[in-house]
Amino acid sequence: MGDGEDRPSLADQRGVESVYQPAEDSDLLARTARERVEAGDTVLDVGTGSGYVAATLADAGARRAVGVDVSPLACREAADNGVPVVRGDLVEPFQRDAFDIVTFNPPYLPTPSEQEWDDWMEHALSGGDDGRRLVDPFLETVERVLAPGGEGLMLVSSLTDPDAVRAYASEQGLASEQLASEKHPYEALVVLRFYRV
Amino acid sequence: MKEDLMEIICCPLDKHDLNLEVTERDDGEILSGELTCTECSETFPIEDGIPNLLPPDMRDEAPA
Repeated sequence: MGDGEDRPSLADQRGVESVYQPAEDSDLLARTARERVEAGDTVLDVGTGSGYVAATLADAGARRAVGVDVSPLACREAADNGVPVVRGDLVEPFQRDAFDIVTFNPPYLPTPSEQEWDDWMEHALSGGDDGRRLVDPFLETVERVLAPGGEGLMLVSSLTDPDAVRAYASEQGLASEQLASEKHPYEALVVLRFYRV
Repeated sequence: MKEDLMEIICCPLDKHDLNLEVTERDDGEILSGELTCTECSETFPIEDGIPNLLPPDMRDEAPA
């Protein structure tokens, strides 16, 4: 893993679109979450983008799989893909104890601030200076919406420092474990599970 | 949105329940209307079938 200077731009790594399309990361998160969903579960996919993870979990037997995204373009696309969707900020517009599983494939790539905020796609990819611009707020707020026994499943990259992410979760009173890991060019993708201690 | 979404959404500001006022409905799908917080009275639009529950100060923002 280099220091970032020889990495291609975010858009080059992920293809140029205005709504993030399912890639290796969404796929790993969807496959991992699919194994954990139980018939009758209510599931939320945060930053749902095209709605791919939510649709996969609905297909896997979730009673209800809802998406939330801050981008109006993503909301439209998820809705067109048949996913019940809410425009909102992370888990803020949802009731306490509402979900058995909350999935999140956040923008996790560390990005120097001078490269940020051109458009909705950049917003979907950039994790800020440390890659945790939305990772940390998610960990601060997800516990409220988890049903008893519920869990958060988040995809992060080795570039995001999964150990630091887990340490921050612990400060928020969340236990964690690593459920899956996959090597890719530039990074390893990891699925972390968070649950109440 | 389907009406049963009301079971899991709340006001993003104070987490209280929302009241639903439907303007346009098509085959069980709510296409437009308004959600109002039962506590703080903040209103949130439903447009093209999608409830916009962003806090008002984030609603009109460009990506950021």
